[in-house]
Amino acid sequence: MSHTAERVGPDAAAPPAVTILLVEDDEVIRRSVAMALERYGYRVVTAEDGLTGLELFREGRHDLLLLDVMLPGLDGIGLCRRIRETGTDPILLMSARGDALDVVSGLEAGADDYVVKPVDTAVLVARIRSLLRRATFAPAAAPAATAATTAGPGRPGAIGDGSGKVDEGPRHARLVFGDLAVDTGGLEVTLSGEPVALAPTELRLLLEFAASPGIVLDRQTLLRNVWDYGWDGDTRVVDLCVQRLRKKIGAERIETVRGFGYKLRR
Amino acid sequence: MENLRGLLHWRSLRWRIALLVAVACGAMALTVGLLVHRSTYERSVNDGAAKAHSVLETALGSDDPDAGGSLVHRTEEMPPDLVREARDRGEAHVLDESKRYRPQMWAARKLPGGQLVAVSVDMTPDQLSRAALDRHMWQYSLLVLAVVVPLSALAAELPNRRLRRVARTALRIEGGDLAARTGMRGRTGDEIAEISGTVDSMADSLRERLLNEQRFTADVAHELRTPLMGLVTSAELLPESEATDLVRDRVQVLRTLVEDLLEISRLDAGVEQADLRPVALADFVAEALARTGAEARLAVRGAPAVARTDPRRLDRILANLVVNAHRHGRPPVDVGVDGTTVVVRDHGPGFPDSLLTEGPQRFRTGSAERGRGHGLGLTVAAGQAQLIGASLTFHNAADGGAVATLRLPPG
Repeated sequence: MSHTAERVGPDAAAPPAVTILLVEDDEVIRRSVAMALERYGYRVVTAEDGLTGLELFREGRHDLLLLDVMLPGLDGIGLCRRIRETGTDPILLMSARGDALDVVSGLEAGADDYVVKPVDTAVLVARIRSLLRRATFAPAAAPAATAATTAGPGRPGAIGDGSGKVDEGPRHARLVFGDLAVDTGGLEVTLSGEPVALAPTELRLLLEFAASPGIVLDRQTLLRNVWDYGWDGDTRVVDLCVQRLRKKIGAERIETVRGFGYKLRR
Repeated sequence: MENLRGLLHWRSLRWRIALLVAVACGAMALTVGLLVHRSTYERSVNDGAAKAHSVLETALGSDDPDAGGSLVHRTEEMPPDLVREARDRGEAHVLDESKRYRPQMWAARKLPGGQLVAVSVDMTPDQLSRAALDRHMWQYSLLVLAVVVPLSALAAELPNRRLRRVARTALRIEGGDLAARTGMRGRTGDEIAEISGTVDSMADSLRERLLNEQRFTADVAHELRTPLMGLVTSAELLPESEATDLVRDRVQVLRTLVEDLLEISRLDAGVEQADLRPVALADFVAEALARTGAEARLAVRGAPAVARTDPRRLDRILANLVVNAHRHGRPPVDVGVDGTTVVVRDHGPGFPDSLLTEGPQRFRTGSAERGRGHGLGLTVAAGQAQLIGASLTFHNAADGGAVATLRLPPG
């Protein structure tokens, strides 16, 4: 485990500007996770309760939020919900339970992904990277992209090892599905002409669907392409993200194919 | 069909109740019959005597020789009892039933000259009407029994049915369904309601206790996770050294233990759901073995088969079986895939007898020779196997070595 950590601990690969806002009440976890992430080259800002976390979030000097679920005062899920009211920042939850209650309510509240405590630093960093890739994969990093992704100032461009699939070259295509329009180059999504604010994972999921409209995509494929999970990812992540996406772009737009997966209605 | 068998079962409470009712009715009918029979007989004797005396009176008082013709003067023609009594008391009557079909009532008087005179009256009509009465009593008693016994058997069916429901509920509880209740608590207030209530409250407290225990295990494992997370991350920050390796190794053991405990408590609570999909078994087993990092020889027989299973859980089962074979058995560990069956075998001393008979029990590794361990791995494997609809059986090979056989449902 430690060897893996040393091997993937790339001080060079992670750009120094990436800042993680860590909200965790347990002091040992807060300090050790902060130290471990700093070894990987991230900047870490910490808060020990939900309200302080919310204040720091409003200051906006972060690229990703790493939230504990059980927090004094405003808990991680509540904090997640408050953040989603205004922002689309990538959120990674750390749950000590890992059961349906925490995971499902966390993902429903708008978290992009979750890890279960105790988690190896290597795994945590892998999840953070995957999430950052989703948030910043815009090929041209056009100013318009900020409308759809996070609006943090000083946001770095694509993280070094960005997802190859979408980075293959900017396709400034405007795809239209009924009243839904997806601009795959400018990363703008509009519903009946109104812009829709999608969290990075939701946007990434929609682009995945838009790339093959009318074709059923199974949960495993979506987990692999959007979340970078291997064979053993939790498919509830997909289901809940699809639910959130449906709320924003219309429930009938994404069809459930029982026993297989989902497809985008043309 | 089961109803019919229950109905015909001779030891059923219903037939006992019916028998009891029949005996009670019979005894009642017999008593009443005897009483009626006796009082009718007595009345008939009294009436007959009065009649005989008045006939005698009439005959003696009349001058009509015809009337006197029925008088008997010869003592030899009279019943001996009558002669004796009449001589003692001056007047007597006796029912003569010595002749079966013609009972006669005799009345006698001692005349002032010491001579006895008697008269007899035919009592046959009385006897016939008494016999008819007896016959009627028998007939009606039997008729009433014929109606009452089936009726009481039917009436006994109601409490029987409730009792059977209690028995069925108790059976379901025994089978592990702790939510089973009779639902008859205090409805009628009789003994059956009492026993139903007792069974229900027993199930309640059993369930409560079990839930508490499960909750406790879950809470303990859960509370351990937060400090463990700090420990895991801090141990990763330590500078490389031999001591660090020791710490990290123990942290890993602790972590596995806590995860296994949590997994078992989730399996116990029945909140887990399998995510079943078709899996190409031979390839999957090969990958799973590679992931465990433990050495195992894989042999695939037959055509490649597809199993319908939850890959995450299957991976967990395979890893636990292989790790267990290494920890408690001896290498080489052989893994065989044949159709949708996976066999994991080692060449150690084999499974302990308690495991073969009772199945895996948490924290019991059985005999000392099977080495150290927490004994949770096989419990987790068995629980996961059940969840994905697979059967996991354990036996020992004839030439030594533990053999675990996992049969998966085909895809």
